[in-house]
Amino acid sequence: MKTKSTIAIIGSTGNMGSAIAKSLAKGSNRLLLFGREDTKLQTLKNDIHTLNSGADVEAIGCPKDASWEADIVILAVPYAAEAAVAEEIRPYVTQKIVISIANPMNETFDGMVTPADSSAAQELQKLLPDAQVVKAFNTTYAANFAEPVIAGVPADAYVAGDDEKAVQTVTELVQSMGLNPVVAGGLAVSHTLEHMQLLLIQLTVKNNYNWHAGWKILHN
Amino acid sequence: MFSELEKNLRQHITLTTDEFDRVKRYFVPKKLRRKQFMLEASDVCTRMAFVSKGALFSYSTSEKGSINVVQFAFESWWMADLYSFFTEEPSKLYIEALEDSELLLLKADRLQPLLADVPAMETYLRILYQNAYVALQRRLEETIGLTAEQRYLRFMERDGRLLLRVPQHMIASYLGVTPETLSRIRKQVS
Repeated sequence: MKTKSTIAIIGSTGNMGSAIAKSLAKGSNRLLLFGREDTKLQTLKNDIHTLNSGADVEAIGCPKDASWEADIVILAVPYAAEAAVAEEIRPYVTQKIVISIANPMNETFDGMVTPADSSAAQELQKLLPDAQVVKAFNTTYAANFAEPVIAGVPADAYVAGDDEKAVQTVTELVQSMGLNPVVAGGLAVSHTLEHMQLLLIQLTVKNNYNWHAGWKILHN
Repeated sequence: MFSELEKNLRQHITLTTDEFDRVKRYFVPKKLRRKQFMLEASDVCTRMAFVSKGALFSYSTSEKGSINVVQFAFESWWMADLYSFFTEEPSKLYIEALEDSELLLLKADRLQPLLADVPAMETYLRILYQNAYVALQRRLEETIGLTAEQRYLRFMERDGRLLLRVPQHMIASYLGVTPETLSRIRKQVS
């Protein structure tokens, strides 16, 4: 597609938000960055322009305006903050893709705070019933956006959602970032994807993977 | 955000509050800044835009790089490349914001679900397509059958007030004359 998409990253000064922003800035999309820390936001903008001097990127003052102008919204805030942001952006994301990257872990990293039969993505879909929520990026560590090849193998990046076209769009976006997209299924699969990351984090700490690790399906 | 659309719908059809609330759920609220594109040529036009605020214009480009303005759309008007929208063939047109704009977009794949959910919208869309056809035919007849001066006078009579918002070279392009010719016509008729 030639027509530029506008992607808003809400929470772009966090580890994940800034890593995703930098990775997306290599493409031709327009980026709108919202983050609560002005200095970090300015540094991020400068970093992006160093990576790609022609990047179309702008810091924007509130999640509402960012979402209104966007075609795709990436919610890169901690799970605990999602409900408040969702409430703020709800009227502006009707029929838009909203990407849930969250892993709703508890403070001790040994379980989830979401109901046993749900996930962060499904909870977000309940808060934003008219948006097309898609799960993506939750199994990718922040450092791996810059280095998506781990031990010589491109890590998988799983995508899940109920709207076929939305999943297709996000899959293309993931691919444009140099990651290997794998469509995992409907939004309910988010439950598994989020638990996969819980396990990966536990193993990363236990085995000292130094936050460079990922999932890969081996197949013929 | 929806007041212009609601007014426009209610001019043509009767909707209950509940029906209008359902209609709203099919529209994408989208801000577009001046000079940004809703559509670029060679993409399929997959969205129709209702202009809540601001203005859009559509145009094709010549090999030499000049633009041929096809249509303008101001508040409460609709804009799309309907040819591309219905045939799913790549568009030859660009649709660009003439001013900072607030749009409500209806995606092609949401059209049938909307009509199934709120059948009164069938009538509204039929009227919309009728108007689009009439406007197209009128434009064709004016282009073929009228002199540049006659075209200008018709245009000013119909949309003159809105055209204060449009740069002269775009009006000239819309009328199919050079900016110099437009300037001469304006002097003659004033």
